[in-house]
Amino acid sequence: MKARTLVADDASFMREMIKEIIEPEGFEVVAEAGDGNDAIELFKEHSPDIITMDIVMPKKSGIEAVKGIVELDPGAKIVMCSALGQEALVMEALKAGAKDFIVKPFKPDLVVSTLRKAIEKQD
Amino acid sequence: MDLAKYRALFLEEATEHLAEMSRALLVLEKIPNAGEAIETVFRMAHSIKSMAASLDYTSISELSHRLEDRMEGVRAAGRVHGADDLALLFRGLEALEQGVETVRSTGEAPAADADLMAALSADGGGAKKALP
Repeated sequence: MKARTLVADDASFMREMIKEIIEPEGFEVVAEAGDGNDAIELFKEHSPDIITMDIVMPKKSGIEAVKGIVELDPGAKIVMCSALGQEALVMEALKAGAKDFIVKPFKPDLVVSTLRKAIEKQD
Repeated sequence: MDLAKYRALFLEEATEHLAEMSRALLVLEKIPNAGEAIETVFRMAHSIKSMAASLDYTSISELSHRLEDRMEGVRAAGRVHGADDLALLFRGLEALEQGVETVRSTGEAPAADADLMAALSADGGGAKKALP
């Protein structure tokens, strides 16, 4: 069965890239969010198996969205999408409940293996 | 990866982001501590950096990275400091616009502007100036 995935990123470029990387590898993107508020709302609506979450987004940042989602479901599997120089923010997101992170520009193999590991991770 | 598809997406989104950045800088010209405008310039630079890096448009990615770092300083200070700082941010915007246009017309990113890169890195943006 495919892993139902929510992709949150304000750039449709990055959302498209993630989709193209993961969909042939057993993931199905069930929803896409362009900001942190949408990410929380779409999480409620779809209860995805895994979420990829950009850090810098409008309305609510990725970190605030992680906090909002973890409040709804402490077992939510969230992987942060970060960029070089965002180490402190990644640490904050992990403390808030994200399971792991991937770094842009994406290495496709690493994206897939990180998402798979996050899904398998037990709380 | 379908490069043509991603190049088209990059051109579309980067053009929108740069227009948004331009509007935000015009706000900062009038209100140097406009928080939302500061966030917008930071976020647009960050987003262009990630897209450009994904397509190996190194000069655009590095320039937007410097701009993002400089805006990090502005964020920390809570304001743009003076006309020189603002002029530098406008120079960064203009260079990014030219970079995107070069990609549109040639399919490649232009060479880096070393002077601008150095100027954007100088004194670390607004943060240092905010220190006593």
